[in-house]
Amino acid sequence: MLILSHGFGTDQDAWTSLRPWFEARFDVVSFDLAGCGPSGAESYDFERHGSMFGYADDLVELMDELELQGCVYVGHSMSCMIGAVAAGARPDLFDRMVMIGGSPRYLNDAGYTGGFEQPNLDQLYEGMAANYQAWVAGFAPIVVGVDDREAVADFSRTLFHMRPDIALNTSRTIFQSDMRQAVRRITTPVHLIQTSSDMAVPIEVGEWLVDAIPDATLDIIDAVGHLPHMTAPTEVIRILERRLR
Amino acid sequence: MIPTFSEALYELCGFARVACDAALVMALEVDHDGRAIPVASSPPHRFAGFNLNRSGIFDIAWSDQPRLASGFRLPTAIIHALSGRPASILFVPSPVDHAPKSGLLLFWTDVPPPPHLVQHVPLLASSIANTLTTRREAVRQVAMRDQFNDLLDSVPSGIVLFDGDGQSAVINKRAADLLAAAPGPHRARDLAAPMRALRARCDNHAELDAVYAAHVGNVDYAASIHWIMGERTFDVDTHPVSGDGQHGRIWLFTDVTAEIEMAARLRGLADSDSLTGLPNRRYFERRSAQILADAQQDTQGVAVLMVDVDHFKRINDTYGHPVGDEVLKAVATRCRGALREHDLLARFGGEEFVVLMATSDRNQVGLLAERLRTAIADVPIRANDIDIDVSVSIGAALWATPDGDDRDLLRTLVNRADTALYDAKRDGRNCVRFSAIG
Repeated sequence: MLILSHGFGTDQDAWTSLRPWFEARFDVVSFDLAGCGPSGAESYDFERHGSMFGYADDLVELMDELELQGCVYVGHSMSCMIGAVAAGARPDLFDRMVMIGGSPRYLNDAGYTGGFEQPNLDQLYEGMAANYQAWVAGFAPIVVGVDDREAVADFSRTLFHMRPDIALNTSRTIFQSDMRQAVRRITTPVHLIQTSSDMAVPIEVGEWLVDAIPDATLDIIDAVGHLPHMTAPTEVIRILERRLR
Repeated sequence: MIPTFSEALYELCGFARVACDAALVMALEVDHDGRAIPVASSPPHRFAGFNLNRSGIFDIAWSDQPRLASGFRLPTAIIHALSGRPASILFVPSPVDHAPKSGLLLFWTDVPPPPHLVQHVPLLASSIANTLTTRREAVRQVAMRDQFNDLLDSVPSGIVLFDGDGQSAVINKRAADLLAAAPGPHRARDLAAPMRALRARCDNHAELDAVYAAHVGNVDYAASIHWIMGERTFDVDTHPVSGDGQHGRIWLFTDVTAEIEMAARLRGLADSDSLTGLPNRRYFERRSAQILADAQQDTQGVAVLMVDVDHFKRINDTYGHPVGDEVLKAVATRCRGALREHDLLARFGGEEFVVLMATSDRNQVGLLAERLRTAIADVPIRANDIDIDVSVSIGAALWATPDGDDRDLLRTLVNRADTALYDAKRDGRNCVRFSAIG
């Protein structure tokens, strides 16, 4: 059994390129995170989803409902930390995990490089609050990182579909989070994948994660951007072939 | 206020944790739908809200018996807040009106709960419930105060609100600007002096003092008066809160300068003739009534001149209406220039103008009428590059010694002046004729 959990600003369609590979090998479950997808506004609770724990509760409830145990969990971006929290609380649910472009903390800290300073983030929130459409138009190409018009269009489309106030609250929840404590509790084996150039996640973050998780591997693929599962699927599959055998 | 009640809950949690050797104790405010707000915990921990409806906690009738934690789906945030895996759990329901599923939640990890100590924990339920209720009220009041303050500064008026106790007051930003004070709460007596100073600065402060003095001693009075401060005028409304001075008093300062100017402009438009810009007949009748009333009071005379442009139809027929209009405008300007500032000149209709002047002196009336006639006739009027010879005939009527009981004085005067005008026309035009009265 394998469960796919997408990242901020996308929905479960983000897995379209990788899905055939997964489906040939696993029973696949995918879902939309709260606040995302067609019914995002109904699923989102500003209080509950103001922290990664609320999303993790959703994941645990979903897996309990489907009576899933010992799953392979594949998460992208914010879903890496959602999986980390869920695995720390309920190790029985997970057999192993793949984390693509995850970060436990985006802000720099003493002895930790997250890649961002608070003023950078405040500027980001201001931009989102002032004119969401304009912000998306600027943000999407930076996150995609490569000249992939289709990926930019897909990412922009799903970002546009988010209600702006939910998108703003979600990005605050992500960027202000510090999940390092939760990561240290993971006992499940984890395979970390990230690109060599990701505006959201510096290489140092992957290195911090592989050190903090007792049973972890780190693969840095030769690709650019935060969405390699969309823009460089063959590179990602090459790693999956090796790690999920 | 809120920290105090949260503190009490923190202390209750701490007490419960120490008393029964628990790893974590949380005071939860939980609504009907299971949405839980962790209000306090021991050890202290920052929790986001979570939902407990599908945790299994509410499916059990709790007594003083802890249960195995594995039987519940606990929020991940709680599990991560514990240093080890949760082994036992106890819920002490403390329902309150607004959050019927509230209660105290206790966890043990490695040490099993000591039953002889745990059995006393449910005794805390009523304290928890009371504190949650009091805290909720405090939160609500803070929220209401925030909403009130927001509202206070959204209103386009200065607001001064005195409490019923006479001790405290609050002013918004606009009132603060007027009173040269800081916005927000004040002692009532600290606002008295700035309020008095503001009133003293008004051009009409004597009138204001008189109005407010009449209300001294009446706590329920209401008044709405214009305070004129140089170029700005404020409508100042004061009334007791909810109609009862015991509840406090509100002062509203609304800048009505723009409204007053607009009203004056509209009144001006309604009162003037659009072609010549002179007052129209409507205004003349209203204003002349005042002048006549004043004159009768002062036993001073008044005079009316009826001024009519000679052969105006011929000018229109010869040069066209646009030129005719220019001629009327020029006549109006020359008439105005020939008269004294306080003489009332109006266009009565068509090519007819009327003058009302306060005087008892027949010679002066004749002099002014002659000055008016020559102002028109001496120099041709230039309209559309054509020089046109224009003249006016003038009928004058004087009421030199008003006896004070003629209610229809204006109509009488106008009729007499009209008859005199007819005489002037008959006598060959471009001349002044008199109809003396009295």
